[in-house]
Amino acid sequence: MSSTAALGQIDINANPPVPMSRLAQVEVRKALDTRAGRWFAASIIGLVLVVEVIYALVADDADKNYGDFLSIAGGVLGYFLPILIIMLVTSEASQRNGLVTFTLEPRRPRVVVAKFVAGIVLAVAVMIMGAAMALIGTFIGIASGASPEWSVDGNLFFNGFVLANVIGVFVGFAIAMLLMNTPAAIVGYFAYSLILPIAVGILSALSSGFEKVAPWIEFNTAQTPLFMGDYQPSGEEWAQIAVSGTIWLIIPLVLGIMRLLRIEFK
Amino acid sequence: MIEVEGLTRKYGAFTAVDDVSFVAEPGRVTGFLGPNGAGKTTTMRVMVGLTPATHGRVTIGGHLYSDIPNPGLHVGVLLDASAQHAGRTGREILTLGATTMGLPKSRVDEMLALVSLSDTEAKRRLRNYSLGMKQRLGIAHALLGDPSVLILDEPANGLDPAGIRWMRGLLKGYAERGGTVLLSSHLLHEVEIIADEMILIGRGKIVAQGSKESLLADADHSSTLVTSLDNDLLGKALQHKGYGVAAAGTGLRVEAAPVDVGRVAADNTIVLTDLRSADGGLEDLFLALTSETQRDVLPEGAQA
Repeated sequence: MSSTAALGQIDINANPPVPMSRLAQVEVRKALDTRAGRWFAASIIGLVLVVEVIYALVADDADKNYGDFLSIAGGVLGYFLPILIIMLVTSEASQRNGLVTFTLEPRRPRVVVAKFVAGIVLAVAVMIMGAAMALIGTFIGIASGASPEWSVDGNLFFNGFVLANVIGVFVGFAIAMLLMNTPAAIVGYFAYSLILPIAVGILSALSSGFEKVAPWIEFNTAQTPLFMGDYQPSGEEWAQIAVSGTIWLIIPLVLGIMRLLRIEFK
Repeated sequence: MIEVEGLTRKYGAFTAVDDVSFVAEPGRVTGFLGPNGAGKTTTMRVMVGLTPATHGRVTIGGHLYSDIPNPGLHVGVLLDASAQHAGRTGREILTLGATTMGLPKSRVDEMLALVSLSDTEAKRRLRNYSLGMKQRLGIAHALLGDPSVLILDEPANGLDPAGIRWMRGLLKGYAERGGTVLLSSHLLHEVEIIADEMILIGRGKIVAQGSKESLLADADHSSTLVTSLDNDLLGKALQHKGYGVAAAGTGLRVEAAPVDVGRVAADNTIVLTDLRSADGGLEDLFLALTSETQRDVLPEGAQA
């Protein structure tokens, strides 16, 4: 028995709480220790590589700069990284291991923070792999006759690659915590990231009034300046990101956290 | 020590647990017994903070569960052996627990050996485990942190007879070393052989508690099961004396104490082949105490 206090009593000063670093480490491990998680992570990287190779073979030599390859990697990651996060969060309810997770650390806000930290760590790791794949693509471009520009526009890197993907990760968190069901969250995510922008695009084409309003109320549309043109949103475009981001990211994230803190894991 | 104080948990109009109070003492195995849906699991979920209480509270070792830092080192919990990611191996599940608690990897091997899961079995994924193997893994997980309190929901479920005997020895030894053990079951015989103390719960309320002996002492021995070479004659003789008689299996069920039935048989020189009290120990007591909460109505004499 580890407790040496009076018989039947537990000495709560006998040991420190589980450190956050350990909680986060466990969460990273949980994202990769199942076949589903491991293969999904590997598939994302593989898909990035495939897209990079195809691009290197078919694009104009003038468009085979490292920055071009990097923005392609960012685009592919942007679609799939959130799903890795969704699986990490929703498995607590769908696979029911939340019973154990929240018994070993009953202070749920700490588990939420650990999952956020783990999500960011995973995202950064995958982004580094993505950047490495872009490097391979660039070399293939050179082999096919291009003379690429190696320097990367800082705006492209921070806005188009890092910020866009970090936003994607948090959107994944928000949808996962709100729905707390793996298939529903993945379907919900694709509805949000694929179907919604198309619907908005159609409506915008039909109505110029809606086209003006769209970036204010639809987050995908608002984010377009992050990875288009000079990767430098204007003041108005930043405001659109902030307003639509509040609707589609901040509010769902807050509601999702509240739900995760209260939900009864069965 | 686990102290449950006036615990109530309501879901809307439904009261799952209704003003439950009891104490599970250190050094004792406390059995938590009740039919399906009686509120055992809900009570245990409140203990470990997975479900908030509507009223009342539970303390473990003098503290609310959520106030215990790194609780895995103090309280071993098994609520549902299937509640683990089906795609993880048994070893990985224990490794995650050991890492969270800050224990060395060697502890995982110790626990696998303790619950007799082989190396090959530990490498299999949980979806390929039988219920008994899941239970063993769940018990290993609960014991990882060498806790002083064990809370186990239906731990014997799915174990083979040898497994149940093994678990009985494990938990008895645990309690003898000063640990507190609370285990639930809907199977009376399981609890009867393991537990020192019993808490009987039905429809969210405690209907009886105490040691096996003290529970049985309260039961009245006023009915008897008897079989003789001439049941017809015996039945008539008993009815003549004013005792209620009913057919039960190959014999009779009589509303009288065994000694009175034996006396009637002796007076009429009827040879008895079986004579025993029909208050079938704890089982009858259990069924009687929880009768209004039972889903199934038992046919007369079926308890025999």
